Amino acid sequence: MGGVPLTLSISILSFFIGIAVGLPLAFIRVYEKEVGFVVDAYEKIWRGIPEIVLMLLFFFGLGPFFPFPFGNPFIVVCFVLGLRSGANQSQIYRGAIHGVGDEQMIAGTSVGFSKWRAIWHIMVPQVFTYSTPGLGSEYALLIKDSAYAYVLSLAEVMKRSIDLRYITGDVIGPYVLAALIYIVLTFPLAFSLDRWGNRRKKKIGL
Amino acid sequence: MTDYVMEAKNVYKTYQIKGEKKEDYKIVEAVKDVSLLIRKGDIKLIFGPSGSGKSTFLRCMAMLDIPDKGEIYLGDQCLTQKGIDLNKARARIGFVFQHIYLFRHLTALGNVELALRKVLKLPKEEARKRALDALAEVKVTECISKYPSQLSGGQAQRVGIARALARNPDIILLDEPTSALDPELTGEVIDTLRDLAKEGTTMLIVSHEMPFAREVAEEMIFYDEGHIVETGPPSLFFNAPNTDRAKQFMTRIINRTTRE
Repeated sequence: MGGVPLTLSISILSFFIGIAVGLPLAFIRVYEKEVGFVVDAYEKIWRGIPEIVLMLLFFFGLGPFFPFPFGNPFIVVCFVLGLRSGANQSQIYRGAIHGVGDEQMIAGTSVGFSKWRAIWHIMVPQVFTYSTPGLGSEYALLIKDSAYAYVLSLAEVMKRSIDLRYITGDVIGPYVLAALIYIVLTFPLAFSLDRWGNRRKKKIGL
Repeated sequence: MTDYVMEAKNVYKTYQIKGEKKEDYKIVEAVKDVSLLIRKGDIKLIFGPSGSGKSTFLRCMAMLDIPDKGEIYLGDQCLTQKGIDLNKARARIGFVFQHIYLFRHLTALGNVELALRKVLKLPKEEARKRALDALAEVKVTECISKYPSQLSGGQAQRVGIARALARNPDIILLDEPTSALDPELTGEVIDTLRDLAKEGTTMLIVSHEMPFAREVAEEMIFYDEGHIVETGPPSLFFNAPNTDRAKQFMTRIINRTTRE
């Protein structure tokens, strides 16, 4: 149980890093076509390598040379999961941008907004609404993937349940408990995000 | 000091329609050497067959499409020059879309207010006041806190007009403002435009609303195949247009209207 706050902070922090990375990438991919290939490459790299490999690489490969930030397991885990989530979220947002439609951008330009200000004031709020089912599952994914943090000995839910197994000698109990905790952590949030999104979508007719 | 609000000088615009394969595409010459002068208080109406390039020309005027060649002037500022701040210029031009394009995530009031706050950077109270004034002018005060999806087509288009109007633009360009609406809703939008006309708002309208054109337009512009075929006061077109093409078109459109 003691691992819950850590699991939550890893997943929430990574989620926000993912937004900060994924949102600009998606808009660059759609509206700055000349440099779109950079975004493609970024997505391919981060989605193509298992996050456990990346965590070990950054922690053991770069950690000794850059104790800050890569010597800190918490930062490495959030960094890897956040940037990987940025690659995923970029694809979610890109779909949403097309779903929201170019007309909204044209209307924004017509009232005097520059491209990037129209994106900020008009596209971004709608893109979030449009992305909700995808974002819900992305968040659930992060909760689950935060379990990899145990390889860097972070005392999150997974690590705690492994420890518990050795202490008690019970091979099944701790893992059942971990499974239940993960379900409780993912389900309500993903569910309420979906519901909020659907309601909002209905309201604004997306 | 001139009273020119806008001018188009020898504007050209072509665009490509892509086909199934990459190599088969069609080049459409939507605007071929079109010039037009609009003075303060003018109400001009462009009409012509669909696909003739009227809308493209209107979008070029607002620099929403960048012309391939030619010049667009807003007052004495040339918008087609390099290095001009187009966003600033667009803020002085009101544009009303055929398919309305209200910002879906904002209420009617929010739609009108947004540019006042974020483009013109007016203080909150003043933006609110001007937005409410504009909405009152188009008579949609009862549904200002509704979202676009909750508005009727006529209400939505009037909000669209208010959005263009609130910035006090030098000119309002309207691209078939009634043609996407149910016939019974066009009346309320036409009434709004009639009110604007009475107040001396400078307008360039693409429309086929002939009774309205006859009533408010000082000049009608018959546009076909990418250029202006004939211009003149409504009386000319309703009695005896000079060109055969305009004659044909008027006969067809008038027959259609009377049949309805």
